[in-house]
Parts: sequence; structure tokens; C-alpha cells
Amino acid sequence: MEPSLILIAIGAPWIGAVVVWLIGDRQPRLQHLTAAIASLVAAAAALWLLQPTFWGETGKVVLRLPFGAFVGDMTFVADSLGVFLAVIATTIGSLTVIFSQGYMAGVAQLGRYYTLVLLFIGAMCGLVLSGNLLFLFLFWEMTAFCSYALIAFYNDDPKAVAAGIKALIVTQLGGVGLLIGIIVAAAYLPDLQISTLLAAAGSLPSDILTIIAFGFLIAAMAKSAQFPLHIWLPDAMEAPTPISALIHAATMVNAGVYLLARFYPAFAAVPGWTAVVIAMGVTSALLAALFAVFSNDIKRVLAYSTVSQLGYMVAGVGIGAIFESQFYLFSHALFKALLFLSSGAIIHELGTRDMREMGGLWKRMPQVVLPFLIGAAALVGLPFFNGFWSKELLLETALESNPLGVYLPLALGAAITTFYTARMCRMVFFAPIQHERTADDHPHVPLSMSLPLALLALGVALAWLLAAPFVSWMWATLPFHAEYILPHRAPESLISTHTLFAWSTLIIMSLTLVGLYLGWRAGATTAASARLAPRIGRIEAFFNESAEAVSGATRQSAALLQKTQTGQLNWNIVGIALGLIALLIIILQGVL
Amino acid sequence: MTLPPFVWLILWLILSAPFVYIIGRIDILTDSRRNLARWLSLLCIAAGWLGLGRTLTAFYEAGNIDLINSATWTLGAITMRFDGLSVLMACLVMTLMTAILFYSGPYVGREEGVEKHYALLLLLTGAIIGLVSAGDLFNLWMWFEAMAITGYPLVVFYTHDRTSLEAGIKYLVQSSAGSVFILLGVALVLLSTGTLDILEVRAAIDTTVIGTPLWITAGVLFIVGFGVKIALVPLHTWLPDAHAQAPSSISAILSAVVIEAGLIALLRSLSALAGAAVTWGGLLIGFGLFNIAVGNLMALRQRQVKRLLAFSSIAHVGYMILGLGVALYVGTEAGAQAGFFHLLSHGLMKGLAFLAAGALLYGLQHQLGASDDSDPGSHKGLEIDDLSGAAQRYPIIALVFSLALMSLAGLPPLAGFMSKWQVLMAGAQAQDPTLLIILIAAALFSVISLGYYAPLINRLYRHKPAVAVANGRTIPLSMTIPLLILAAAIVILGVAPMLAGQLTAPAAADLLSFITR
Repeated sequence: MEPSLILIAIGAPWIGAVVVWLIGDRQPRLQHLTAAIASLVAAAAALWLLQPTFWGETGKVVLRLPFGAFVGDMTFVADSLGVFLAVIATTIGSLTVIFSQGYMAGVAQLGRYYTLVLLFIGAMCGLVLSGNLLFLFLFWEMTAFCSYALIAFYNDDPKAVAAGIKALIVTQLGGVGLLIGIIVAAAYLPDLQISTLLAAAGSLPSDILTIIAFGFLIAAMAKSAQFPLHIWLPDAMEAPTPISALIHAATMVNAGVYLLARFYPAFAAVPGWTAVVIAMGVTSALLAALFAVFSNDIKRVLAYSTVSQLGYMVAGVGIGAIFESQFYLFSHALFKALLFLSSGAIIHELGTRDMREMGGLWKRMPQVVLPFLIGAAALVGLPFFNGFWSKELLLETALESNPLGVYLPLALGAAITTFYTARMCRMVFFAPIQHERTADDHPHVPLSMSLPLALLALGVALAWLLAAPFVSWMWATLPFHAEYILPHRAPESLISTHTLFAWSTLIIMSLTLVGLYLGWRAGATTAASARLAPRIGRIEAFFNESAEAVSGATRQSAALLQKTQTGQLNWNIVGIALGLIALLIIILQGVL
Repeated sequence: MTLPPFVWLILWLILSAPFVYIIGRIDILTDSRRNLARWLSLLCIAAGWLGLGRTLTAFYEAGNIDLINSATWTLGAITMRFDGLSVLMACLVMTLMTAILFYSGPYVGREEGVEKHYALLLLLTGAIIGLVSAGDLFNLWMWFEAMAITGYPLVVFYTHDRTSLEAGIKYLVQSSAGSVFILLGVALVLLSTGTLDILEVRAAIDTTVIGTPLWITAGVLFIVGFGVKIALVPLHTWLPDAHAQAPSSISAILSAVVIEAGLIALLRSLSALAGAAVTWGGLLIGFGLFNIAVGNLMALRQRQVKRLLAFSSIAHVGYMILGLGVALYVGTEAGAQAGFFHLLSHGLMKGLAFLAAGALLYGLQHQLGASDDSDPGSHKGLEIDDLSGAAQRYPIIALVFSLALMSLAGLPPLAGFMSKWQVLMAGAQAQDPTLLIILIAAALFSVISLGYYAPLINRLYRHKPAVAVANGRTIPLSMTIPLLILAAAIVILGVAPMLAGQLTAPAAADLLSFITR
């Protein structure tokens, strides 16, 4: 049963992708319907896998397809890390597809849009369920491609195209790290199975394990948009908003965290590895939160917020809090998808992403206000939304394991998060009306858009109930991780007064209140703090400028090389002669 | 005397060419509109497939029993041997040639000299199969020259176009420079070992010590001589001109088959001198890195689609010889298989890319050259900008073109991904730190390649089509079908890479048998 469920979760969206493309752009309704059905089937299959009878351990292969000597066997494993992310990918994926029916109505080339979205959903399931390193990499690259093609979906807009290519190249640079890690591992291991690497990590030569560990880390850094490779994510907001919700908030960006969590048992002992992971996560959590404070583009705020929240998860993996970090990932996927989709509804209505041109939506778009505020409350960590529990659990563990290096900056980050969230909410909903589009006071938000919002809001409000079952599921299916999953706690103590009145929680809650108050005040004026803004802007620009310097240098060297292609026959022959002489000198000095 | 099937195949292809030409010529002189040369050449290639089928059956049936003797055919001083390398190339060349003969019908249409073009294509096919099954060095050189000379009139097919004449001259002069070196190398091998048969040379260089500098020099001459055809950097300078100026079907042949045939010829001659396999391997790895770097960086600056593809060929040659270099350097079959797989997948995907670019050129041509009417010989290059929104008008061509580009960029699940993966895997298995750094560089340059493939794909899928695209003419089915078949092959090899093992494993085994004796 598991094999067919896995195949359905991956295959149904892919078949849907082909069918949507074949239907053609003349029948948009049929395309919407096919895409929705395909993604819902996948979601059903993934949810079905949650049943305890289908649980499989990390090493236990449920589906094996032989692929010849070089590639090894394509295997799939249904352990909790994988199935859990597959469930997120398919359910949020289908909600996004349904939302798109309203959001993308009337947009040209819908076939390409849905084909890529469905391809992505399938590839994401494959990525997390794969038990073979090569296929993990293969699906990893496919998600990168889909992400690029969807960011650049509005191909006529040079900004979108540039953003897409930037995303592709940055994530592929990370992909090189993964690739090198995998091929090096393969050279020393009997096969490419993930469980083989996890089991044999201790017996690999230490320098080899270091290469693998840091290779994977670079990949995770690029994919999860961590500093300094975060630069692609804010630009990626050129994508249609449902894509930002699905790929750049709820699923693909989590792949990096998944990778780190998946291989944590193998790499934890590598000297310096956890320190770098923690440093990367903490820096991202703080800096990105600061950048979010000074952005006025609503999607950019959310994008930086995603980078910052991913930083929490990465730092969580760094301190070995596998469960807390995965639970955080789960909560974040829900509330950030909700925030993005509701902001999408706003953008769809107003036609702008600039928060300074919004305001007064409290009265105008009541169907969107509530979901958005629920999402924001979860992001801030107000009790008792899912974001509250996941944040408190993670920070409590951080306080126990590393109070200065991790807890302190993350708590500060939590305060900044509250600040920008409060500012954003006030600017969008409660500030005086800044826009002049008042022709239709109560715009119609179609059911296809409001239904996913309602469902996600419900999830955000209730998903924390799953914490205890989630722990037992992880204990049961992750033999390599078992010692890192809540070593000192009982699952019953997670959602309880123990967490509610922990020191960590009390500190965070007071910081949150301060942040809320200050952020609310800051939201009243559209001008950001005059003294700080340019400085932060300079830091923000610095990363982009360094990236541009690298790409500029590449282009420069290409231009220099171009001079060698003179097009003159004489020079060409000189090139041949020189090549011969050089080779003869190199070779014959050894022989003679 | 009974001829083995592969000799029949070569003879058939070469001997049928003059008939195709004569009948085609008569056809044109009598002013008929039947385009007989095309149909006749298709018929000949179909018969060729029968021959190839016989050859392959004989090859795979022979299995392990004394392959070398059963597949060898000698006539006086000429030795021909049909081994794994020959099988690989013969299959590739026949596949692409068939696709191109279908495609050429509408593409070259009724240009002046079509009948020559068809006859030359058949001749070229025969020459390439001859080249890859040559069993002695002089014979190898002869076939190699035959291939080069047959290719020349095809490059300058548009004889009224000045740029294409220039490209042809460069091609001719540079490849003759190369072939002089090869001939010199052959002479040096004869001098140091007293024989030219590849197996005998291989056996002789192990026993003779005196002539070492001579045959080492010969090996260097082979690398440079064949390297011109393979476009090793810095011997590559002719390639962008020739590949960009030739008709797209010919560019496809040059890029997807001729380069590869040259590479096989180089491997053949180096395997005769495999006593220094480590040296040759090291050189090939070094050239591989050069090619990957220069090809990718140069392609980044191109505005013309076909020039871009030409530079990308230089880069891909780098990946092939990286894999094959590892095979020679370390002596592992994995590297050879990987190199041959990349050779195969590059042949398919680059052939597809050129043909798809050609199809778009065909559709848009009458829009592009303003001087089209006054000067029918002028063939303006296809700029990247001209392709804006081509997917609106030509959805299938745009799709297969994007597939080819994605495969070239090494994106899964396409053949290019799998073959690059194998090359890198094989390199890593050597467990050599220097090699690992080279592999990292190769992988990084592969990322750079996205910088020129991705914008091209984006262009194709723009919403607002360029003026030329909006008014483009319909692309006939006989051009679209070969493209679809090649695209299917790329996808299938990407999803099921083990299928390529049928061709690459025997080739790798035969190459390795020279190194590890």
C-alpha cells in the first residue's frame, strides 16, 4: 500500500501537469479543474500515509526501482521527516492551486503556470520521500527549476526574468555543494542510500565527512535562503503570489532545513559544523528581521520574515533540537502560506504591493482581515496559535542548551518580528486610507480564494494539537535521530502549563508586548526611522552588491576571453601551433 | 570472400552517394518538382538501417567470444574492426542522419545544390562509420580526411554568402593543419614501432623502450591534430564560425556527430599508445577543464543563437573528455562509460537544439533578412531577441527547444543531467583531491551555463511575440517529427539512463582493454 501511495503523491501531480499542458490555454476552466483534482489526489495519498500502519523507518525501503550501476536503486522511504513534508507540500499545494483559480483568473499562459506548479508539487514530494541521494539531488534540482520558471512566469517583465535567473543561479550554486557532497560520499560508500550514509558516517575519513557536511550545508544555505545566500528570496517576490506562498514560504525553502535535519546525526560530530549552522541561522534570524522592518513592499516584508523564520529553524537544527525545529517548520508553513495568500488577495484587489498605498482595509476587505490577522498573530507568537507553541518550545530548548549564543539573539529576533508584524498590520488595515480606488467598497473575494484562507486559518489556530502525536511518530520512525528528539522531556509536557509558564516563555511574551506596542506606533507614520533606515539599507544592499560583483567579474572575464576569438585565420593557426609547442614542452620534459 | 555486415554498410552508404547525386541532378535538369534526391537518400538510409541491424546482431551475438578476431576484416594493408566504440558512433550517426534527412526536405528546400547536399550527407555517414571502425592508423587518417573533406562543401552550402565562405575557409585550413600533424604522428609511430595496426602498435610499445620519445611525440601530435576537429581549447577557433554559418541541419551534424567522431578517432589512436595512458588521461582532463571554462564563459556573451550553441558544444566536449580522461588516467571503466554517455547524450541534445533553432529560423527567415529579396544568398543569423514569444506561435518547437536547452544545462530528469552526473561520479571515484577540485570547477561552470540557457528559455515563453514571430510561417510536420523523436530520446535516456549502458558499456570495455593490458 505504501508504495502506491508514494507513487500517487509524486505521480498524480506529474500526470496532471502533462494533462494540463495538453488541454491548452483555450480552456482555462478545464485547466483549473484538472490541476485542482491532481493536487487533491496527491494530498489525499500523502495524508493517507500518515496512518500508523504505514509508518516506515529511515532505513526501511518501501519502494525500490533498479536504475543500473551508476545511479543505484531509486528508493522511497516513508519515515516521519519525509512524509510530514510531503503532506505539507501536497495539502498547501492543493490549497494554493484552488486559490489560483481566483487569483490567476484571466492570466495568459495558464497552462505553463499549472504545469510548473504541479511539477513542483510532485518533485517536492519526491525530494523528501527519496531514500537515495542521487534522486534527492535530482528532485532538488527539479524544484529549483520549477521555482525559477515560476518566478519568471511574467516573462515580459525584465525584473521577473532577472529575479528568476538570480534564484536559479544562487540555488544551483548551493546545488553544487550538494552534488559534490553526494559524489564524494558515493566514492567512499557502497551505495547511495541515505541510510547508508547515516549509518557509515562515523567510519568515513574525517576530511571526507567534512567535505560532505559542508557541501550539504552550502546547499541548505542557498535553498533555505540563509545568509549570505539569502539574496534571491526577496527578489523572488516577482512571482505570482500563490507561488510565493507555496514555494517561497511553505515548501521549497524548507528543503534546506529538511536536509540539515535529515543528516544531522551524521554531521553533528564534524568539528565546527554545528557552530556554523547555528551562526548562519542566528544571523539570518536577526538580520532578515531587521530588513523586514525597513521594507514597505508587503511581499518583501513577508519574504524577509521567511528568511528570518527559517533562521530559527536552522538554528534549532544547529542545537540539535530536531523535533522543535521541524514543529516550527510545520507551524511556519501554515501561517506563512496563510499570510502570503491573504496578502495575495489584497494585492489582487488593490494592484499594488506597497503598504504605503494601502490602509483602511479593515472595513473594505473583512474576508481577508481575519485570516491575515490570525496569520500575523501566529507569526508573532500570540497564545494560543500554532506559532506560539512552536516558538516557545524551540526557544525553551535554546535557553537550556545555549542561552547566550542562541537564545539571546533569537529572543531579540522575536521582538523585532513582533515589531515589523505590528507595523505591517497597522499600515495595511488600520492606517488611514491611502489609496484612491474606492469605486467598489466591498470587493468580491471569490470562494476559490476565501476557502483556502479559511482552511489555513483553521489550521493555524489548531495545528498545535498535533505536537504530541508528532513526537511519537518521530520516535517510532527515525532510528538515527532518536537520541536527538526530546531527550529530556515527555511528549505530554509539550502542550501544557509547563511550557506556558516556563521562564523562556515569560521573557518572550514580555518582549512581544513591547514589540507590539512599538511596532503599532511605527505603523502610524509611513516614513521609517530616518536615522536607521539608510544604514540598514546599506547592509541590505551590500549583499546584493557583492553578488553583482561576482557576476560582473564573471562577465568581465568572459569579455576578456572574447578578445581571443579574433576571427582571423592567421591567429587561429598560431593558436594551434602554440598549443602543440606548449604540449610538447610539457610532455617531453618528463620523457627526455 | 564474405564481407562482414559493417563493411557492407559502409560500402552501401559510400557507393549509393554518387547515384543519389546523378539522379538528383537529372531530376533538377529535367525541371521536375519531385525532389528525387531527398527520397532516394531516405531510401538509402533506410537500407543502411537494415545493414546496421545486421551489424548489431552480429556484434551482440558475438558477445565475449573473441570479439577482436570475429569483427576484424583485412584487405591487404587495410584493417577494419567493428568494436564497441564503432557500435556507439554508428548508432549515433545513423540516428541523427536519418532525423536530418527527414528534416532537410523543407529546410534546404530547393536551394541550389540540394542534390549534392543529400549525396554528401550519405557519403559523410559512410566516412564516419568507416572512421570509427578503422583498425590501423593510416587508414584512420584516410577516413578522417574523407570526413573533413566531405564536411567542407556542406559547411559552405550557401555559396553566395560571404560569411559562410569565410567560415568554410577557416574550417578547411585549420583542419588541414590538424591533419598534417596527424600524418606526422602516424609516421612517428611507424618509425618507432614498425607497424600501424592499432593492436600491434599497442603490443609493440610495451616491449620497445628506445623509441619512447618518438611515440610520445606522436601522441601529442594526435591530440593536437584531432584536437582541432574536436575543438579543444585553444584549437577551437574555427568552430563557432563554421557551426553558426552552416545550414542548421549541417550544424547539427557537425556538433552532434563530427566532433564526436573526431573524439573517437583520437581515443583510437591514443589507445594504440596506451603505454602512456596516464599522461594522455591527464592531458585530456586538463583540456576538459579548459574547454568547460572557455566554452561556458564565451557562450555567456553571445547574442546569436547558433553561435551560443556552438560555444556550448566546446563546453560539452570538455565534459566528455573529462570523463574519458579520468578513464585513461585512473583506468576505470566508470569514467569511460560516463564519457561515452555524455558523448551520446550531447549528440542527441545538441542535435536537437540546432535542429530546433533551425526550425525557428526556417519559420522566421523571411522576416529576418530585410535584404532577403535582393540577395537570396544572405542568411542572417538568428538573434536571441528574435525568439521572443516563439512559444505562442510554435508551442511544440519551443517545448523541444527548451527541453534540449535544459538538458544541455544539466537539469533533471533529462539525459544531460544523467550523463553529467556520471562524469562527476566517475571523477569522484578516483578519490584524488586535485581531481575533486577540477570537478568542483566543472560543476560551477555548469551553473554559469544557466546564465545563458535560462534567458533563452525565458525569451521563448514571453507573452508578447516579436514581430517576426507573429508573422512566422508554418513549420511543416516533416521537420517537427524528427525533433519530437529526439526530444523523446532525451527524456527517455534521462529517466532510464541504464538504457544507454547497452551502447556505452561495450565501448568502455573495449577502450579499457587497451589500457589495462
